Amino acid sequence: MEVLVSITVGLLVAIGIWMLLDGSLLRVVIGIVVLGNGVNLAVFASGRLGARAAAFITDAGAPPLAADPLPQALVLTAIVIGFALFVFALAVLKRSWEAHDTVEADRISAVAEEAATDTMPDAPAGRDTAAERGT
Amino acid sequence: MFASIALIAAAMVVAPAFAVRLDQRAGWLLALAPLAVFVHFLMLMPEVAAGGVLSQHFVWVPALGIELSFRLDGLSLLFALLISGIGTLIVLYAGAYLSDHHHLGRFYAYLLGFMAAMLGLVLADDLIAMFLFWELTSITSFLLISFKHEQAESRRSALQALLITGGGGLALLAGLILLAHAGGSWQFSTLSTEAVASHPLYPAILTLVLIGAFTKSAQLPFHLWLPNAMAAPTPVSAFLHSATMVKAGVYLLARLNPTLGGSTSWTAILLTVGAATALAGAVLAIRQNDLKRVLAYTTITVLGQLTMLLATNTHYGLQAFAIYLVAHAFYKAALFMAVGAVDHATGTRQVAQLGGLIRFMPITGFAVALAAFSNAGLPPFFGFIAKEFKYAGLIDLGLVGWITTAVMVVTNALLLAAAGVVFVRTFLGPRANYPRVPHEVSLPMWIGPMLLAVGGFLFGAFNNLAEIWLIDAAVQAVSGRAVPVDLYLWGGLTPALVASVLTVGLGVAFYLQRTRLRRRISLWRVLWRVRGDVHWDRLLKRIFAFGAKIADFFQHGSLSQHMRSLTAAIAGVLVLALIAAGGVPWPAVSRPPDAAALAGCLLAVAGAAAAARMRGRIVIVAALGVSGLGLALTFLAARAPDVAITQLMVETLSVVFLALVLRRLPPDRAIGQARPAIRRIHAIIALAIGAGVAAMMLLTFSQPLPGDVAQWYLNTSLPGGKGANVVNVILVDFRALDTLGEILVVALAALGAAKLFAHHPPGAGAATGSDEFASVLLRQAIRPLAALLAIVSLMLLWRGHNLPGGGFIGGLVAACAALLIALSAGADRARRLFRVGPVATLAAGLALSATAGVIALLQGQAFLTGHWVFPGGLPLGTPLLFDAGVFLTVLGAVLHALFTLLEREA
Repeated sequence: MEVLVSITVGLLVAIGIWMLLDGSLLRVVIGIVVLGNGVNLAVFASGRLGARAAAFITDAGAPPLAADPLPQALVLTAIVIGFALFVFALAVLKRSWEAHDTVEADRISAVAEEAATDTMPDAPAGRDTAAERGT
Repeated sequence: MFASIALIAAAMVVAPAFAVRLDQRAGWLLALAPLAVFVHFLMLMPEVAAGGVLSQHFVWVPALGIELSFRLDGLSLLFALLISGIGTLIVLYAGAYLSDHHHLGRFYAYLLGFMAAMLGLVLADDLIAMFLFWELTSITSFLLISFKHEQAESRRSALQALLITGGGGLALLAGLILLAHAGGSWQFSTLSTEAVASHPLYPAILTLVLIGAFTKSAQLPFHLWLPNAMAAPTPVSAFLHSATMVKAGVYLLARLNPTLGGSTSWTAILLTVGAATALAGAVLAIRQNDLKRVLAYTTITVLGQLTMLLATNTHYGLQAFAIYLVAHAFYKAALFMAVGAVDHATGTRQVAQLGGLIRFMPITGFAVALAAFSNAGLPPFFGFIAKEFKYAGLIDLGLVGWITTAVMVVTNALLLAAAGVVFVRTFLGPRANYPRVPHEVSLPMWIGPMLLAVGGFLFGAFNNLAEIWLIDAAVQAVSGRAVPVDLYLWGGLTPALVASVLTVGLGVAFYLQRTRLRRRISLWRVLWRVRGDVHWDRLLKRIFAFGAKIADFFQHGSLSQHMRSLTAAIAGVLVLALIAAGGVPWPAVSRPPDAAALAGCLLAVAGAAAAARMRGRIVIVAALGVSGLGLALTFLAARAPDVAITQLMVETLSVVFLALVLRRLPPDRAIGQARPAIRRIHAIIALAIGAGVAAMMLLTFSQPLPGDVAQWYLNTSLPGGKGANVVNVILVDFRALDTLGEILVVALAALGAAKLFAHHPPGAGAATGSDEFASVLLRQAIRPLAALLAIVSLMLLWRGHNLPGGGFIGGLVAACAALLIALSAGADRARRLFRVGPVATLAAGLALSATAGVIALLQGQAFLTGHWVFPGGLPLGTPLLFDAGVFLTVLGAVLHALFTLLEREA
């Protein structure tokens, strides 16, 4: 079980990262989902995988070898938040397509952003008078 | 002490409103605040003079031993009296000086803000508190210098002052932290001198603290900013840049003299830097034509001399330090205010255009005469005593002393010449061609210089008063050991007196020959080629260019490049971590993977790989769905039914959202990057991170799980949380605050997404529903199914505390039911069917969850503590209410995004 889950997490993360590196925003969004799935599984597995019973209390008390409930609770909310993030990312993707007619990340930056201007503050203007005053 | 700072800060807050409402009278009213503080400290004087020390403590950062502590000893009292006393006069003066300025209120606020900060600086006993006030004075000084911010010169000067003093402040902070570390205390009063002196970090502490003090007190080579700071209105120059703020550096040196002052390096550095500063300031002062700049450079000279005096550490030297500090503050503030008055009356500060002003401004002229005599060090003024003691203090030092005395004599002679320029040249002699017809200034403008100048005279004539009440206690505080203090005007025929006579003679000669002297000085061309301001501008320009280059390198605006560097860094860190861990052990296998887990993992990976490699949009949607389902299966196999159901529902909804958005996007282009080299780099990075994470997982599994948190939850869930489903109990009870934050995130994400979806104009899909559902049979069948799902969702919510289910799962299932209706009948119909809007549902859910927490608050327990009642044996509690809130929030959030998306489909 441990080896299987480790390999699965590794592969999901690798695929997710690979898609995150893609130039197309659609693939970046899907990459976030895949990466999120991998990380969720990893967090889940941090509670160890030897469980023989789910974390439910019976009349006889907690079953022996019950699953660790804490990572489960964490992952449960993480899945829902991941979903909310995914919907938001989709909205951004759709809006970028509508606004810029492209889903290529670099092309969007090229059309959406002006190059920043690095100008000096007032130093050059005050410089001459300063030089005169110094003498 | 703290009350006095707070009072002035309060005056700062109300100043703008006062200035608007009360017009001219505002200055009189606002001056009451520093006056009250002055009187307060005056009344404390007997106690402090008798050797008493007052202190006050407020808890601030107890964990680090840092507290907001104040301490009033002789040195602090001296400064506090100067700040509040001169401050009172300056507020009055400023009201008249800037009476027609439309931002006078703002000026008052800055000025009073500075006053509060400066008081805090001299009263603070805690190193960090002192530093805080130190920085506040830098910032208020910046605001005051740039008060006439429409002038480029003011802005430049302000920035220069801020950068130099602020940079010094950074060094000081580092120095203070080291000092506290070495001295074993965060309080000035309890620093251990022996521990600091013998600490290996002593040189570093000394260097850093001295940089801080030297930048603040404009010592060479940081003196640049002070003359430029004269761009500020004259009240500011009189108060900050002569009498108080620039003395903060000297104050710090004096305060630390008992702690740091024992070493040879302290004496050597302070003597050298002080002497160089004094000389440079005096020589530059003689060359100026602008009265204000003359005074600015003489201030630099005085600051240099004060530094020299501290270095002596002899009893005459320290007395001279305290006397000179007071004498200088008195006469320099008076002279600045008078020069401002002259500027106000005649419209010029150029020496060449002035002369014979005593005819028009007799009162100001009289004040200037007194102040200038004190400045020149003529008996019986306070300045004379200061000068005598300076010489006596330096001569004490032996050979080095004679050299420094020579520097002192020359600089004092130049100061005398400068005083001559300010009084004799400006007020006596034939009348000059003024730009305006001069007039005597109003009372608020001459009262300040007059009081200070007369004060300088009285202190000199009746010097035993000053000795008993002020100087004695201050000197004791500076020296750290008992020192006899005895002020006198006539000390007999001592070497000091000879030097004094020499100074006066030399000074008069300098004044009479000043034209020739200036010509002679300007011949030292080598010296004038080193122009600090030009170098400063060049340095600033280079820094900006360098910054731009760095920014271009990192902020290139390409997302994929950012991702590349980011992921490459992660891969690097992972590899390093694995190397540090020293290999990956094979974990003990707890149990062999069962078929469900194997299938689930296979599906998850295969689906993800397909989504990554395929190009068709339908295929991507399907593949992603398969991947998620596989994951759900894995969770189920690992005995996590709640997580598995959640994953299942989320995957269903994700597929719908993805499909809805994808059909509006263009077909995907080629997968991966165009350039094969980059493609290879991406593959390597992705594989490295994947392998690294897998190795980390194996490493984790090889360690036992620390602690027994799991067992605690399993044991406490039923008795404490009244629930058998431990996961749900954790979500709604044990860690409910986390959950509250999480549903808030979900709600915000949905609101944001809906806002983005809503940007598109509404389309036809809203009214009719999708054509794909046009079949009557399907539409009819969907309704009962949706109704069934809705009932199931409520059941899941209800039983979730004991069986798989809960607010999250219930909410997602309910959202699926609504989804079916919205897809088949259209979002419009779905909206009408639900009556309550999604946003209202969402808000109600959040409110319900919060209310469940507040109930505990009302009963006097921590927020979100569970409360239970058992009507008829049925357990009902606030966690159930909380879970219902989660249900509504999740439902509302999903529906809000979904309906908006559907309505805007064309």
